[in-house]
This record gives sequence, structure tokens and C-alpha cells, in this order.
Amino acid sequence: MELTKEAVASAVKSHSAVRGQGTLPNLLSFARALKALEVKVSLSQVLDTSRSVDLVDIADRADFRAVLRANLITQKEDFPVFDMLFDQFWREQSYERAEMDSLDIEGTPTESSAQEGGDEEGLEEAISEMLPEEDVPLDNLDEFTVPTYSPQELLNRKDFSEMGIEESRAIARAILLIATKIATQISRRKKLGRKGNVVDPRWTMRRNMKYGGEIIELVNRKRRIKKTRVVLLCDVSGSMDCYSRFLIQFMYGLQNELWGVETFVFSTSLSRITHLIRTKDIVNALEKISGSILGWSGGTNIGRSLHTFNRNFAPSVVTHRTVVVIISDGWDRGDVSLLEREMQDLKRRCKKIIWLNPLLASDNYEPLCKGMQAALPYLDLFLSVHNVNSLIALGRTLQKMVA
Amino acid sequence: MQGEVEVNPQQLTIEKVQDILRQEQYVCDRSLATVVYLSLTMGKPLLLEGEAGVGKTEIAKVLSKVLQAKLIRLQCYEGLDANTSLYEWNYPKQMLRIKLEEVEHGDKEAVETEIFTEEYLIKRPLLEAIQTDGAHPPVLLIDEIDRADMEFEAFLLEVLSDFQITIPEIGTISAKHRPYVFLTSNRTREIHDALKRRCLYHWIEYPSFEKEYEIITTKFPEVEANMARQICAFMQRVRQMNFYKRPGVAETLDWASALIALNRKGLDDKTVVETMGCVFKYREDLHHLREQVEGKQFNLEALLKSPEMAS
Repeated sequence: MELTKEAVASAVKSHSAVRGQGTLPNLLSFARALKALEVKVSLSQVLDTSRSVDLVDIADRADFRAVLRANLITQKEDFPVFDMLFDQFWREQSYERAEMDSLDIEGTPTESSAQEGGDEEGLEEAISEMLPEEDVPLDNLDEFTVPTYSPQELLNRKDFSEMGIEESRAIARAILLIATKIATQISRRKKLGRKGNVVDPRWTMRRNMKYGGEIIELVNRKRRIKKTRVVLLCDVSGSMDCYSRFLIQFMYGLQNELWGVETFVFSTSLSRITHLIRTKDIVNALEKISGSILGWSGGTNIGRSLHTFNRNFAPSVVTHRTVVVIISDGWDRGDVSLLEREMQDLKRRCKKIIWLNPLLASDNYEPLCKGMQAALPYLDLFLSVHNVNSLIALGRTLQKMVA
Repeated sequence: MQGEVEVNPQQLTIEKVQDILRQEQYVCDRSLATVVYLSLTMGKPLLLEGEAGVGKTEIAKVLSKVLQAKLIRLQCYEGLDANTSLYEWNYPKQMLRIKLEEVEHGDKEAVETEIFTEEYLIKRPLLEAIQTDGAHPPVLLIDEIDRADMEFEAFLLEVLSDFQITIPEIGTISAKHRPYVFLTSNRTREIHDALKRRCLYHWIEYPSFEKEYEIITTKFPEVEANMARQICAFMQRVRQMNFYKRPGVAETLDWASALIALNRKGLDDKTVVETMGCVFKYREDLHHLREQVEGKQFNLEALLKSPEMAS
């Protein structure tokens, strides 16, 4: 825990008002450290934490941890980050007065509530030193990656910045069009109709005002249009390389325009990237993805990726109302029987499976590779994606399906 | 048994929470007790997540019992709206009143104001929770919040942060007693941050071997110790295996009670296969288990012989 003397001095100075009751400032800097690790924390949560800390015996480390965790963390995925930071931050000696002060960083409570950035360099340095050298796991990625399979698995970081986002404007526009179409389709929620079986009293009264309140017409309520969810499973292995620019655009566009889209990428293993592309800042999102995906441009093991998906994600993400979209060329180096089993399992859970294959466009293409053949019987739709026109066609199909 | 000792939420400790829950046969570990304690003392809602059947709903039920509070339960479903969760005007009654006044040539303006009073209001769970009279604040259980639409969470925000409901025709109704609020979610979708921020959060894990053993022996004191250990070891093992639906504590208890009803003192291959319907509810899972046992990939015998080792 190395902080410059100046930082400590100024911390002491700016915190003189709250000194002697060191808990809150300490909690604030802890919350900030969490924030720096991309855990969402709000000021009101910190204040509640300090309230609850008074209610327990903080000398009991386990209780103290439980209190902090209950207040500051809002999803299970953040537990590992929290635990790591907790261990580093509240080390034994940090209960001692002197060390506690050194943790305090300049900045008043109000300042630290500012949502973005704002963190002083001193704090960031402190955090980076508190944590091990390796990349900090920002989420559940390391928890869900499975052992590698292919000899060709590459751990390279693909630089998306070379992609040139400008040139894919046309694709972006097409996606936007599709996505908004689907979005408006599902947002028509409640309909009034003559045929429904439930009388809507409010509308009945309103409709009958013209008869002076005498009930002449009955207004019925129809069932709402059910919302369909979309899960995207995207192949990012080496054989799909030339399409990856388009794929990223597609995943990004669809997820940002539609409610309830979950996005995963796979090659030899599977990663959830929904949270990484849930942002309007695409450049930043691309960096994040390329930085955290294991095996980008590596080999393919569709079967095992699907297995991971079915086991870890499908129970919570896929319902009978979900449309699963798999984007892959079907070149699989894994066990074909596993792939078939998992496709069967997936088929049972979801409403429709759509497979998008960029190779389908070439005239003489036939789904000969084993992986593709194994999957074919379980598909509801087998479509091509290779250019803007095929995207528009896809949009129409999805729209019909969702409606 | 319960109800002899008055439980004052303001004088609780973590240990006491654990104790009173145990009295009602709910075994919980210290971290869960801590969170419940905080929620009760601070009056902050508690969001519980976890796999199906680990006792998320149960804890609210048990607490309402020990606190001698009324349990108000709002089961969420898709399409749940303000009319079914907050309040609704009693239209038939209002219309009837209007008709009556028409016949009697009553005062038009008086009627207009009168039909929008509490008398003509149908209270739905959330309003009921806020308006409950009596010595003890109620326990409000909002079950499976993830099944409701995103829009529904917005209604909850006012209720959960300020404990008040605004009805345009009447005004704002504030809580007389702050209800103890518990929300559960199975994570079929993400809950909005705004709602999460207003809650304490806890993830209930599958129980450890020791905890599950304690749960069984607490619920069924008559159970043979050895069989209880066997059951736990078995459950611990199958949760690590690849099943379509992993069994929760609810299944463990079902199974235990079935075995007790069948007068079994211990488990053997045959019993396990016969009673597996309590644990697995899918044909594929049953099939999978049988395959594993027959193929010796799953060494049932060794597991049953020394359950402690297997855990």
C-alpha cells in the first residue's frame, strides 16, 4: 500500500472534518476502488453501508464482509471482484489507525459520488498496486471459460481499432432498420378488442360516455403480444475471421436497439459479452471485447461451447419464448455427437433456432461438414448472412417470427 | 411454540436472528442471518437470488411467523400491472352508486367526489402492505420479480424507497408502519439497477453437506442419522453432475420425507432408483442417472457406505 506522502498529507487535511470517525471515508474509498473495477456503486449505497456497519461488530471480519457485500454488490458475478478487493483493502493492519488514514484519499463524499472518472491518480495507482499484476477479472469470464481444446487455440488479442468503423456504416444502418422494426413490433403491448374474454371496465366507461354513461358497448381486453427474447451465439473462430467485423456490428446493433438480447461469443470456449457491449460507445466496447475474449480467431468447438451455454446460461436466459440465433460456418473440430446432443437440448428449451451461415451464399455450397450436418435437423431456419441484402431478408424473417 | 416471546426488531442481533429462524426450522448460515438482520433493523428491502428451491421464499414466510406479522405476498407474472399490484377503483360499485343517485336525484358534485374515496378503492398487495394497521408491520414478499415486466419495477421504486403510493384522485398514502420487504428472483432476466440500489443483496447458495444435514435433521428429527448423511452426500454429488435441472433443498426434503414415510432406515441402490422421482422431475435426468449408476461412472455404493468422505 504505497501512497505518496503528499497524497496522505492532503488526505488528512481534506478529511479533517470527518477524522476520528474514519469508517465513512474508508468506506468511500473502498467504494471507489470497487467502481474503478467496474462494479456499479452509488453514493446512497455507501451511506447505507456506513449505517449498517454501526449495527454489527466490525471486529468480526466475516460479518463485516457480509455487511459490505450485501450493501455494495448487486449481482452474484461481482462477488469474486469484491472478495479480492476486500482481502487486499481491509488487510489486518488496515484496522490500525495509521494505515487507515493512508487509505483515505482526497475528495469529499459529494465528489466521489460523481459518476464517471474523477478518480485521482493516486487512488488508481493505489488500486493497481493493491491488486495482482495480471488483468483483473472484470466479471465472470474466468469462471466460465473451460479448458482449451484445439491445438490451434490462440490467445491473441485482436485489435479491432484496425477495423475502421466508418466503412461499415452501411451495415450499421441496415441493422438499425431491422432492430427498430422488431422493437416497434413488440412494443405494441396491450390491445383492446371486441373478441377478448375479459371486460375492461375503464375503457368500457370511457367508450360509453357518449351514451351518457349508459353501458351499451362492452370493451374487451385482448391478451398482450408476448415479448420474444433473442439470444445471439456468435462464432468468432479463425474460419469466421473475414466476417468478424460484420458480426461485431450485428451483435452490437441488435443488442442496443432491442430489449432483452443476450449475446455470447464462442470459439473453443464460450463467453458472455452482453454486459461488454451494453453501451453506446462502440469503440470502447470493441476494445473491451478484444481484451477479454479467450481464443479469438482460434479453433472451433461448437459442441462444447453449446454445452457450456446449456449448462451455465440456458436455464436463466432461454425460455420457451426465446429465439436463439447461432452465427457460425459450422466448421467444427470437436465431438459431433456432443454437438448433436446439445442442439437437441437447446431445441427443447427454446422457441426457435436460427442458424446464420455466411457460406450459404455461395452457389455450390452444401452443408457437408459434419458439424453443420449434425445441427441441421434441429434448425427452424437456415439462412445466409454475407451482405447487406441478406441482412434485410433476415430482418423480415425475424420480424415475422417475433410478431 | 412460537409467539411466546415477543420479537422486537429493534433489539435483534445476528445470533438472535439465526436462533429465531432455527426455532421455526429454518437453518441459515451466518452471512444470510447478517443480511436479514440488517434488512430488519435498517428497514431496507432485501433482494434474494439463488437457484430454484434453496429457500428464498421460505425465509419471508418464516420471518412473518416469528415476527407475528401479516404476510402479504405478491406473486409476479408477466403482464402484472399497477391495477393488480397497487390499487384499482371498484368500477361496478361506482356505477351502482351513480345509478342510485340518478334515481334519487342526488347532488351531482357530491357524488363525483365521493366515488373517488377509499371506500371505492380495491386494495391490491402493495397498497395493502402500506396501509396495514396493527401493532406489527407486515412482511411484504414480492416473489419472482424477474417474471414481471421491466415496467413493473418502476411502480416498485416509489413503494420501496419512500414507502408511499400516490393515487391521483386521493393523494399520497404513506406507510403507517414500514413493511419488511423481501424480493426474490430466479434471474431469468436482470433486475434494473435503480431497483437493486434500493435493496440489500444476497445470493443463496446450495447448502454445504453440513448445512443440508442440519436442515434435514431439524425438519425431520425422527430421521436416522446415517440415512440423513447418505441423502446429503447423494445430493451434494448430483449437484456437481450434469443434469437438466439440478435439485434444490426442496427436493432433498421431499425425498427425505418420502423415505421416512416408506420406513427406510438407510439407502441402497434399489431404494435410490425407486424413489428418484422425488429428486429428478425430468425423464432425461432420471434416465441419465440410471445410466450413470449402471455404467459405474457414479459409484453409488461407495458414496452410500461412507457419506462423510464423499462430501
